[in-house]
Amino acid sequence: MITLEKLNRNEAVRYLGGAGIQMNEQMESLMSECEKEVLEKASPKFRYIELDLPCDAIMGGNDIVNHLEGCEKAILMCATLGADIDKLIRISQISDMAKAVVLDSFSSVAIEQVCNKVDEIIAEKYDGCYMTFRFSPGYGDYPLSLQQDFLRMLDAPRKIGLTTNDNFLLMPSKSVTAVMGISKNPIEKKKRGCAICNMRGKCKYRRNGEHCGF
Amino acid sequence: MDFRQLLKNKEFVLLDGAMGTLIQKSGVEYDSVPETLNITHPKLIESFHRAYVQAGADVVYANTFGANAYKLKESGYTVEEIIGAGVSNAKEAVKGTGALVALDLGPIGQLMEPAGAMTFEQAYDYYKQQIIAGKDADLIVFETMTDLFELKAAVLAAKENSDKPIITTMSFEASGRTFTGVLPACAAVTLTGLGVDAVGVNCSLGPAELEPIIAEMSRYTELPLVIKANAGLPDPSSNEYDVFPDDFAESVQKLLKYGVKIIGGCCGTTPEYIEKVRKMTEENKYQPQKKSVDTTVCSASTIVEINGPRIIGERINPTGKKLFKQALVDNNIDYILTQALSQVSGGAEILDVNVGHPEIDEKLMMVRVLKAIQSVCDAPLQIDSTKPDVLEAGLRHYNGKPIVNSVNGEEASLNAVLPLVKKYGASVVGLTLDEGGIPKSADGRFAIAKRIVERAEAIGIDRRDVYIDCLTLTVSAEQEACRETLNALHRVKTELGCKTCLGVSNISFGLPNRELVTRTFLTMALEQGLDLPIVNPNIDSITGAVRAYRVLANIDKNSIEFINAYNDSAPSQPVKKSADSDIDIFTAVYSGLKSEGATVTRKLLDENTDAMKIVNEMLIPALDKVGEDFEKNKIFLPQLIQSANTAQECFEVIKAHLSKTNGDSVSKGKIILATVKGDIHDIGKNIVKVLLDNYGYTVVDLGRDVDPQLIVDTAVEQNIKMIGLSALMTTTLKSMEDTIKLVRETKELQNEDGSSKCVVFVGGAVLTKEYAMKIGADYYCKDAKESVDTAKLILG
Repeated sequence: MITLEKLNRNEAVRYLGGAGIQMNEQMESLMSECEKEVLEKASPKFRYIELDLPCDAIMGGNDIVNHLEGCEKAILMCATLGADIDKLIRISQISDMAKAVVLDSFSSVAIEQVCNKVDEIIAEKYDGCYMTFRFSPGYGDYPLSLQQDFLRMLDAPRKIGLTTNDNFLLMPSKSVTAVMGISKNPIEKKKRGCAICNMRGKCKYRRNGEHCGF
Repeated sequence: MDFRQLLKNKEFVLLDGAMGTLIQKSGVEYDSVPETLNITHPKLIESFHRAYVQAGADVVYANTFGANAYKLKESGYTVEEIIGAGVSNAKEAVKGTGALVALDLGPIGQLMEPAGAMTFEQAYDYYKQQIIAGKDADLIVFETMTDLFELKAAVLAAKENSDKPIITTMSFEASGRTFTGVLPACAAVTLTGLGVDAVGVNCSLGPAELEPIIAEMSRYTELPLVIKANAGLPDPSSNEYDVFPDDFAESVQKLLKYGVKIIGGCCGTTPEYIEKVRKMTEENKYQPQKKSVDTTVCSASTIVEINGPRIIGERINPTGKKLFKQALVDNNIDYILTQALSQVSGGAEILDVNVGHPEIDEKLMMVRVLKAIQSVCDAPLQIDSTKPDVLEAGLRHYNGKPIVNSVNGEEASLNAVLPLVKKYGASVVGLTLDEGGIPKSADGRFAIAKRIVERAEAIGIDRRDVYIDCLTLTVSAEQEACRETLNALHRVKTELGCKTCLGVSNISFGLPNRELVTRTFLTMALEQGLDLPIVNPNIDSITGAVRAYRVLANIDKNSIEFINAYNDSAPSQPVKKSADSDIDIFTAVYSGLKSEGATVTRKLLDENTDAMKIVNEMLIPALDKVGEDFEKNKIFLPQLIQSANTAQECFEVIKAHLSKTNGDSVSKGKIILATVKGDIHDIGKNIVKVLLDNYGYTVVDLGRDVDPQLIVDTAVEQNIKMIGLSALMTTTLKSMEDTIKLVRETKELQNEDGSSKCVVFVGGAVLTKEYAMKIGADYYCKDAKESVDTAKLILG
């Protein structure tokens, strides 16, 4: 069980594209309202399984090979905020679009925080081992089409209500699937960085000379 | 003995335990779909069934849970092969034992609309194929369902393609709801209405944790309840379950008092568990529940008990509403959704939905509007049409137990509408009129009411699900009729024991101070026993009268609902600065102050300021300043949107003013917007829509996951020259390219020299300008602001 107590507001501001913008009172209260609603409606759920490497079922492209180099095991994980969040955003798109945009940002922050908590839970379980960061379908050349197989391996539709559509988009939409490598020996600390990012060349943060932080 | 006889003759009916657990324990390997074992290892599967029959199961579930066309896509087998083999393995195992075989069907594996992409029709077709393939089974089971709408599609597929008994069980979380938010009460009510043989729960939790869920279901149905619980909860690291056979049987025993009659096991259970349950049932008796709830309607996530006056919102109805009619013709669903949301926040508990208008296809529109309302609003709905085919289309696409509005005493109406009400398990409004019109006297109306109730009961509709409407006549035209309506209502309530319904607002037509007359009539009717006033919930005094009545009639215990409705209403209102304060339009728009913007606009118009002057010299410059600041990174996107919304309020005031004075339109031109085929991310497109709307353009919003052909057809039909496309995923850029190609190739959208009449602008997170040009777009817009700039460039 993961519960979120608060959401990282600075992150939400960054998703809104406004690291340098002065907040006014109206914006502040909109932010507070949205943070509260996302915390209320989010119902974080996750699953993970351990796989022995090499494991063909999770391979595709070269970047994942690189990512798991030197690891004996891999963790396949998925997490979701649940369907209520999608509904919340859908409703505010009708009644208040400004709010919908802020809710969307906070929900992205929330699923990231949930994943970080899953990381902690796994790290605790594999105490003494070394762990890579989360590598998700869509990063670099890691095919999105793996989403469907991942969810099946995790029994995710049945256990946490997480599915994909025909285009391999996760539904509910504020959800993540990822692979992490585990090794008994120290592994080179890899950074996610821009090189493997599928937004390379199109990213709004880079355009403004910033970095998304991953 | 068939299943229905089993139910009648046996104290308890035992189901099997888990199939998956036995497959796992056996260590047998399979390629992705366990149902393929039916063909590769038939004897093994048969041995599992046999073990359960020996343990005491009266019914075994064939190994067909995931055998649908969607999940079997890459298995190399057809649905017919896998299900045929699955049923025949089970039949082989039960031979000579008297045990029955159930065709076991789970969720398709895709989320349905609106959360996902699968339509009702697609779900129906998947299940239909499975049901026909499993024709040799003795009964049909739908289990582990989490979406009531998908389950409804499944049940209808079963009912319309076979006559086998049906068991349905859903999976609930510890929160008391399923993943998609379904309440146990709503499941029980809806499925009972659809005419299944038993309802209940399976999977997700152990028997002890399922108690509150079974207890809730038991209050809302008289059907035998089914429980097929997990062996407790799995240990997260070992995946072992923590409840053992003895404790399992003991926990189930504690649930018998809720009307549990059909018992089996789900994940983690084995033949041992079933054997213990069998022993336990031999020492107990079935205790049928006494349903404690009177009559209800529900969506999938909200149940409304008709145990006192409940407000039905009347606003989703084009009669006498120019804007609403226009919205229907323009396919402007958002306008209708706004009406739905505002009625609910006004206090409506049920919403009437009527979209009848001669210029549109009412059936198509009813389905579209019902789907859209259900995607944002939990209130139960009342499907309102004079046409039986529209009613049926609506009933199919409604997720829950709706009200049908309406049937009347005419023979044709009774024959056409009541069977639909029965088939889909709805409630129905019965109008007290017939071939002879509306009887003048209370006695005449009562007689029709009685006839409607008798005819409903004759085909199996409970009289508590018939809501009689004794018809309000306009008091300014027929003053003596008001008393007749009230007398009839009173008699129906007391003598027929039916719930009553009444369209109230009609009473005051043609009189000054209508609100006062309507409210007074409403109060009189409530005192005569009116249960379901159909009113405008956005008139405070009307909603207030119902709320106050509920207090005074001792229905709203301790005035809790009343206090909740009014206690915090004061602070939630934004602090209104006095309208004459020195805020000008520019400030109002720049700061995003909606009501101030509207007030100032009204004031300027009253002072005879030229409307176009307000638009061009005040509103547009203010919006431009906001846009400029947004580009310079001085304000946030939500602020830009708030400003745009304020401008919209000002535009609305101006539009209303113009249509009063000369009927001039202020639209600057039409633009199609769509998120391309395959893509379901539409927030970006919706932001663009809000801004374009607010700059005075008419946006034809085709939604998300839009077929290229629909975009082209709309452009041709409505002669639209500007098309905006959005795509968020790399994978759906191809659809964008295809759409543009189709636009270019369509003859009707070309000039005489073959060049394109349409300007296509595109946007979305993964697009770049280069790519946009490569796929043939005319403009790339990096954000909503640039879309407006482009529209200005093209349409002025």
